[in-house]
Amino acid sequence: MTPLHFSYHSAFIISIMGLSLHRTHLISTLLCLESMMLSLFIALTMWPTQLQTPSLMLTPMLMLSFSACEAGMGLSLLVASSRTHGSDQLQNLNLLQC
Amino acid sequence: MMYFAFLFGFCFVFWMVGVSCNPSPYYGVLSLVIGAAFGCGLLVSMGGSFVSVVLFLVYLGGMLVIFAYSSALVEESYPAAWGNRGGMIYVVSYVLVIVGYGAMCYWLWSMEGYGSVTIDAGGLFVVRLDFSGVAWFYYFGSWLFLIAGWGLLLTLFVVMELVRGLSCGVLRPI
Repeated sequence: MTPLHFSYHSAFIISIMGLSLHRTHLISTLLCLESMMLSLFIALTMWPTQLQTPSLMLTPMLMLSFSACEAGMGLSLLVASSRTHGSDQLQNLNLLQC
Repeated sequence: MMYFAFLFGFCFVFWMVGVSCNPSPYYGVLSLVIGAAFGCGLLVSMGGSFVSVVLFLVYLGGMLVIFAYSSALVEESYPAAWGNRGGMIYVVSYVLVIVGYGAMCYWLWSMEGYGSVTIDAGGLFVVRLDFSGVAWFYYFGSWLFLIAGWGLLLTLFVVMELVRGLSCGVLRPI
């Protein structure tokens, strides 16, 4: 594996670990999701650049637009949970806790 | 010059570690902004300057500005800072994960030499590969473009429905 590929691979691994091990706030989860999208964008851009095929450049553009949709929806869920629960602390989301 | 790309890659991974183990979302947003800036530098060093500009505009200027404003929902009067909590164990463990992954790549899967892969577009072109690739959207990918635009419009209505408020129905401050 070349160092360029290693950079976005390890960034994705670190982001997905941060997504699963976040401690207090819901917005930290959304931030780790955004960093996963960033590492995927870099991966999808490296692919047509190294294979010298311009047509594959459509995929990172599409991925960026749909990740913007997903970020907007995640933030609206954050706002909705902040209205009903008072804050975005994860210990407040305990409706299913026994 | 080839080691410059390696430096950008290293700084990108460093700030992604900062995003994953942030003590407070304020520092997480800042780490993501700087990490995205280094990611754009990584793309520029490979010859993709157009996608780097698009990443700056859409990602940093669009999405992360909204994240920075939404971190006002956190409402911590005394936010924790770097280095004075039990969260430092997370920083050390993430760095060890990267070092361990690099060691596995080197010894098990034969990671190649440093600074040896920097691809350019092969000559002095005015229009580079990424710029001409995105232009495919307008002829060959026209239906894809329309469907993606329709999906974005649908997302707008979904977001408006999510933040509507169930029985009040009025825009109110959070």
